[in-house]
Amino acid sequence: MRPRLRQAGLLRTLSTTAILALAAGSLAAPGAMAQVHGGELVFVQGSNPPSLDGMATSSQASRNITMNIYETLYGLSEDISPIPILAEGVEVSDDGKTYVFTLRQGVLFHNGKEMTSEDVKASMERYRRVGATANKLDPVRDIEITGRYEVTFHMVGPTPTFLESFSSPRAPAVIIPVEDADTEAGRNSFVGTGPYKFVEYVPDSHVTIERFDDYSADTRHDSVDGFGGFKTAYLDRVIFRVIPEPGAQVAALEAGEVHLVEQIPMPAARRLDANPDIVLHENMPWAFTTFHLNLAEPPTDNVKFREAIQVALQMEEIMAISSEGLYELNHGWQYPDTTYWAGDIGLEYYNLADAERARALLAEAGYNGEPFSILTDSNIPQHGRAAVVIAEQLQNVGINAVINQVDWPTALNIRLQDEGWNGWTLQMGIEPVQGPVAMIATLASPARPHFAVPDAELDALYQELISGMTVAERQETHKRIQARLYEIFASIKIGDSGLMQAGRANVKGFVPYRFPRVHDVWIEG
Amino acid sequence: MTAEPGTTAAPPLSLAQEVARARRRRRIVFLRRLLGHPSFLIGFVILLAFVMTALLADWLAPYGPTRIHFRAILAPPSADHWLGTDGFGRDILSRIIHGTRVSLRIGIFVVLFTGILGTILGTLASYISWLDGLIMRGLDGLMAFPGVLLAIALAAALGPSETNAIIALTVTFTPRTARIVRASVIVVQQMQYIEAARAVGAGHGRIVFRYILANALSPLIVQLTFVFAVSIIAEAILSFLGVGPPPPAPSLGNIIADGRTYIQEAWWITVFPGLVIAVAVLGLNLMGDGLRDVIDPRQHSTRDTGGR
Repeated sequence: MRPRLRQAGLLRTLSTTAILALAAGSLAAPGAMAQVHGGELVFVQGSNPPSLDGMATSSQASRNITMNIYETLYGLSEDISPIPILAEGVEVSDDGKTYVFTLRQGVLFHNGKEMTSEDVKASMERYRRVGATANKLDPVRDIEITGRYEVTFHMVGPTPTFLESFSSPRAPAVIIPVEDADTEAGRNSFVGTGPYKFVEYVPDSHVTIERFDDYSADTRHDSVDGFGGFKTAYLDRVIFRVIPEPGAQVAALEAGEVHLVEQIPMPAARRLDANPDIVLHENMPWAFTTFHLNLAEPPTDNVKFREAIQVALQMEEIMAISSEGLYELNHGWQYPDTTYWAGDIGLEYYNLADAERARALLAEAGYNGEPFSILTDSNIPQHGRAAVVIAEQLQNVGINAVINQVDWPTALNIRLQDEGWNGWTLQMGIEPVQGPVAMIATLASPARPHFAVPDAELDALYQELISGMTVAERQETHKRIQARLYEIFASIKIGDSGLMQAGRANVKGFVPYRFPRVHDVWIEG
Repeated sequence: MTAEPGTTAAPPLSLAQEVARARRRRRIVFLRRLLGHPSFLIGFVILLAFVMTALLADWLAPYGPTRIHFRAILAPPSADHWLGTDGFGRDILSRIIHGTRVSLRIGIFVVLFTGILGTILGTLASYISWLDGLIMRGLDGLMAFPGVLLAIALAAALGPSETNAIIALTVTFTPRTARIVRASVIVVQQMQYIEAARAVGAGHGRIVFRYILANALSPLIVQLTFVFAVSIIAEAILSFLGVGPPPPAPSLGNIIADGRTYIQEAWWITVFPGLVIAVAVLGLNLMGDGLRDVIDPRQHSTRDTGGR
C-alpha cells in the first residue's frame, strides 16, 4: 500500500514526509520500530456514536469505534477490494448461485466462546432484521450451516457484485455470538471478535475499549490490510472522547490531553505543521463533494437550466473553500486510478465557470428569476460552505439562488420531499470507495435517487451494472453511466475532498484509513 | 378671552399660543440639557455613526458583502482588505458594514414592537383592574425564563430568519417593558390632574392618551434604549448559535460564528465585529444613561437592562 498523496497547498510536502515515514514504519518492515505495549490512548471525534451495535448503524461516528470491536467475514483491503477476514475463503459455484464460506478456526469472541457457523448464520439473520443496509443481503435466499466452520449462502440468482457489496463497511455485516441473535437493534452485548473489547459508553463523554488478550490474529498476513490483516493490539485501552467544537479538539491536542483527532480544520493544520509535538495525517481522498438537483421542482426540472448550473460552476473555488484547501479536482464518479475510473468522460463540462454559456442556457430554458433554493445544513461544515460558494457563483450568472440552512436531520427529511428544495449539497464518504454499484445505487431505482425523479435510462444502466458478469463488462457500463450523468445534469460532481487528521508525535503506527485503526498503534515514551 | 378694547400693546397671546410657546421653550431647554449631558452626547454620536453606516452601507463598503475572493482566503488585514477576509475570502470590513444593517433593523423593530406591545399591555393591566392579574401573571410566566434562553428557544422553534429573530426578541423583552409601563401608569393614575380630568367628564380614551401616557412614558423611553442595546447583543447571540438570519447574509453575530473555528489562526474575523458590537452597545447604554438623567431624574441607580 502506498498512501495516495494529493495537493494540499502548504501542507503537501511536510505531511507527505510524515505519512511516508509512518507508512514505512508500520508496513514495510514489521519490527523495524520498537513497538511499545501498554498505555492508554485518547481519540477525539466530533459526535456521539448513535449506536455501538456494529451492524445497526451506518454512522461514521459509530464505525470509528465499532470496527475496532467487531469483524466481518469479508471486508475491504487497503486498496479497497474484498478480502477474507473472519472467513478462510469463499467458493462460488459456476452458476453464481451458491457461495460456500469457510471460517477461520479458533477465533474467539470477547466472551471466550469460539466462533462457529452457528454464530455466522445467526449474525446474518439478525443483519436482515436490524442491519442498517439490510438490502445487501437481498440477493441471498437462505443461509445453511454446512459444517462447524462452513456456511453456504443460497442466492436468489447470480449476483456478480455480491462480494463487493457484502464487504461494504457502510453498515458492516459483523459477526456476533449466537446469544445476541434475537436482540433488537442497539441491544446486543457489544461482543465481537476484534482486537479490542467494549468496556463502557458514557454518552456525550466517551466510549472506552480495552485490549482483548485472547484475540485471534489473522496469521495469513504479516501486517494490517484495510479492515483486515494481521492486527496487533499494543495499547491497554483506548478512549474515544466526544468533543463537538473543533477549536476545543485542537486545543486538547496541543495541550497533550488527547492523542489523535478525527478531523482538524485546515487552518489549524497549517499552524500545527511547524509544531514538533504534532504529526498531521492526511486522509485523501476521503469523500466526494456533490450537489444534487431536484428534478421534481421547477426550475430544476428543466435540463437546460441544470446544464446552465453545471457550466456556471467553478469547481476549484467551491472545493478550495469547502474543503479549506484539502481537495482534488475530479469530474468522475469514481476515484482516479481505481478499477472503475471512467476517464475523461464528462470532463468537457467540468469546472468551466462559463457565465456567458450559462446565461445563454438560462435564456433557452426560459428562466425568469424563479428562486433556486439550496438545501444545506449547519452540522457538516463542508455542506454549508459549499452552499455559500455555489449560491454566490449562481447569483453571478443571474440565478436567484437562496440558501436554506437547517440542521442535518431536517435536511435529510426535506430532501426526501418532492417540493421545497432545488439543490442539495452532500459529502459522500463511504459510497464512492465501495465501488460503482454502491455509488450509483444512490442515483438509481429502486432506491429514491438523490435527484428525486428516477431516470429510466440510468436505471437500465444500473441494472446492467449489477448483472455484468465480468469486471470489463461492468467497467464499460460504468463509462456509459458517467456519460449519462453528464447528459441529465441531475447530480453534479464538484470534486474530491480529504480529511486532515492529527496526532501527537509520540503516537506511532497510525495510518489513516476509512476508520481509525487503533490496533497497531502504540505510544512512545 | 378676547382683548379688552383700548389696549394698545402687542396683541396678547391666546392661551393656546402661550402653551405652545412654553412647550417650545421647554423642548429647547430639554434638548440643551440632553446635548449638554456628556454621556448622552457620546452615545448619540456613536448611534448616529452606526445608523449612517447602515444607511450608507452600499457606498461605504469596499466590496459586496458576499463577494468571494478565492485567492485571498483568511487574509490578514492589509491595504486591500482593511480588516482581513474570512474563510470564504469575503472582506470582513464590507461584511461588518452590511451586518450593521441587520443589527439595526432587528434593534429598531424589536424596540418598536416591544414599545407598542409593552405600552398596550402595561396600560391595560393598570387601567382595567380586572385585567391586571391576568396580564401580569401571564407576563410573569414569560419572565420566569431567562431572557436570552427564551429568545434562543423561540428562534430555534420558528426557524432561522430575521423576522423570527425579531419575533423571538419581542416576546422576550415585552414583559419587562409592560411592567415598567404599568408601574409608571399606576403612579400617574393617582395624580390629581387625572382626577380633575375625570371630574370634567373626559372620556377614557382622552384620559389614557392625553394625560396618563403622555406623563408615564419617560421611563419607557429610557428602557427602550436598553432594549435596543440588548437586542443587538441578542441578535449576535442568536446568529452565533445559528438561529439568526441565515447565511450568506452578514450579521455581526454570524461573522463571529464563522470565525470561531479560526480564532487562533485568523483573529481578525472575530475581533472586529466583536469590537463593533461592544462599541454600539456602549453607545446605546451611554445614551440611555443620559436620557434617564435628563428625563427622569427620580429613577436613578436601579435600571433594568431587560436581559439578565
